Amino acid sequence: MNQLNVAVIIKLEPDFSEGNVSYNPDGTLNRADTKNTLGPHSAIAANAAFYAKVKYDAKVSVATMGPPIAETALQMAQKLSDAEELHLYSDRIFAGADTLATAETLKTGIQKMQGKMDIVFSGHRASDGETGQTGPQTAWKLGYPFFGNVLNYEVNVQNKTIRIKRLVSLQGFNDVIEEVEAPLPVFLSVDPSYKSLFNTVSQRISYEKYQKQAKIRSENYKQYLMVFNLQQLGVDPTLVGLPGSPTIVFRVERIPKGKANRQAEVLDSSNPEHIRKAIAKINEALSAMVIK
Amino acid sequence: MTEENYQHIYVVIELEEGKLAPVNLEMLGKARRLLDNFNKKYKSDEKVVAILLGYNVKQISKTLIEHGADFVIYADHPKLKDVINTIYTKVIAQIAKDKEIATKISPENAKNFKKPRYMFFGADSIGRHLSSTVLVELESGLASDINKLEISDIKLTHQYKTDGKPVIYEKTLEMYRPDFSGFLWTTILCLDNKNPSIEREYHPQSCSIIPGVFEPIKPDSKRKGEVIQFSPTIDEQDLKIKILSRKIIKSEVDFDRCKAIISFGRGIKDFPEKNIKLIEDLAKQLDAEIGVSLPISKKPFAVSESISSKYMIPDRVIGTSGKKISPMLYVATGISGAMQHVEGMKDSEFVVAINPDENSPIKDECDIFIKGRMEDVIPKLIEEMKKQSLVV
Repeated sequence: MNQLNVAVIIKLEPDFSEGNVSYNPDGTLNRADTKNTLGPHSAIAANAAFYAKVKYDAKVSVATMGPPIAETALQMAQKLSDAEELHLYSDRIFAGADTLATAETLKTGIQKMQGKMDIVFSGHRASDGETGQTGPQTAWKLGYPFFGNVLNYEVNVQNKTIRIKRLVSLQGFNDVIEEVEAPLPVFLSVDPSYKSLFNTVSQRISYEKYQKQAKIRSENYKQYLMVFNLQQLGVDPTLVGLPGSPTIVFRVERIPKGKANRQAEVLDSSNPEHIRKAIAKINEALSAMVIK
Repeated sequence: MTEENYQHIYVVIELEEGKLAPVNLEMLGKARRLLDNFNKKYKSDEKVVAILLGYNVKQISKTLIEHGADFVIYADHPKLKDVINTIYTKVIAQIAKDKEIATKISPENAKNFKKPRYMFFGADSIGRHLSSTVLVELESGLASDINKLEISDIKLTHQYKTDGKPVIYEKTLEMYRPDFSGFLWTTILCLDNKNPSIEREYHPQSCSIIPGVFEPIKPDSKRKGEVIQFSPTIDEQDLKIKILSRKIIKSEVDFDRCKAIISFGRGIKDFPEKNIKLIEDLAKQLDAEIGVSLPISKKPFAVSESISSKYMIPDRVIGTSGKKISPMLYVATGISGAMQHVEGMKDSEFVVAINPDENSPIKDECDIFIKGRMEDVIPKLIEEMKKQSLVV
């Protein structure tokens, strides 16, 4: 028995693409008028899981926590990953959870999936909340070693080990690509630049086969969908939602306009003299470099 | 003297190849200033404690003390040479909960010590993940990507936290994080549940801090501090995680290469593809690297795949969520000037903004403001530039 089981946690997020996103006049997001979709980083995580499907014939499961509408995100992730199991954790008590309480819900759900998960994937961070905490926190609750910014991976199914390439970037240093080997299970959060490469003919054939299958499955996604409320999930109500969240949002304010750091000279682009002046200034700024 | 369960600010230090990342000294500086005020206000004597993990790292303690640490707790082990999240998380949590260490830090106040009061991490690809896992291990809350911190007593009524009754939370860390738009500030608090039905203590109050935001203190070689060694326990299972290689890569986007950087934001919206081509032309004229604002990295516009994968990427983001730059010339086109962007470009020598809206915040951050739409302005600039001979 060398069946590989992989899971992906995903999120329904505001759709930041033109035509779907709406901003208030003051530059903040207009949530009411903005459509929702599968988060872009979640989609990349689903792609990473699909790689395990194509290459290792893995069984893929996808989970999310959210309102009933979040099932559309599960459907979209299924189309990308050919998942056979879709989990939605949906209960009013889950609402308002911070990352610690969200991780508790997701951990409990992943443990309820068919088969023990060998790899769990998450996206890099959500486009709206942007904390990037839910992945690593779910990993720690599961007791799985966590690896972030994963660029690619190869599994040794016989030995139950994984080789991972990941990106480390720190301000003031060059980026580093680190290659790590670890025993399964692991939790991987996938870097935005992750790309699956299918090199052999047989992999490309499997890729096409499973892609077709994924499309058919996602058209009938309800067959694969399981919805859990608090009771069905069997999670401690004091550890989820608002009661289980250590942090609260105390205040939201517009960032006050700071003191002007520079005094701008305003130039009118319809005035050729002003354009000449702009270029003269630009040349001056650049030639100052030569003297320095 | 009060005997409290939670004391001190613990700052988790990050090393890359044995060297200190700048954010470490910035965190220590902020911790020092906060705690000096705290000790004065509350008549206490709490400490700034640096946690240092690595291999052959003891000598770094001196720099940490010079920059504001009262204590350096260091764990030295070959397996700690590079950051393996699992191992680091466990060792940091061991140190944070260690009563012997707390006793060495403050012998008279350690009797009831459980965990640190506050804890700081760097908001980068090490600290973001490490803070997340450590705080699960310490069973408390975390705010990420903070750029302002204050400590105050807060009166609060909350459905769950206080069972709907007003409660004063003393010595609360107010953690400010700018949202993705850069226009909103959200203050996050990490608070004990004082509701009798779900009573729970949540400490340390923790955050990850955006690099480049806080000032380090002026290093003082006479500052006194103590260095304490900690012998970590590393699980056998975790020793199976091996770093096979580490390769330094130069990003394709190299902001240090050029004297000039030109960035674009959502102002490309009317003709995204055409405008990006114009920006490329201008960049060629100026020998400039091209940057973007954070919203652009979310690929908000439909453009060809080659343009999208070249430009609408996190690697090009300038600001607190991306790179901090200081070129001789910075050209911001179609960028409104959200704070998180300004933080990344404000050290530029000369700044030109191209924008149709004179009320955009970028006007306060530039030396010349060319009023107009980029599709009109850039061709004129290029034409004029060709006329005047460049001295680049």
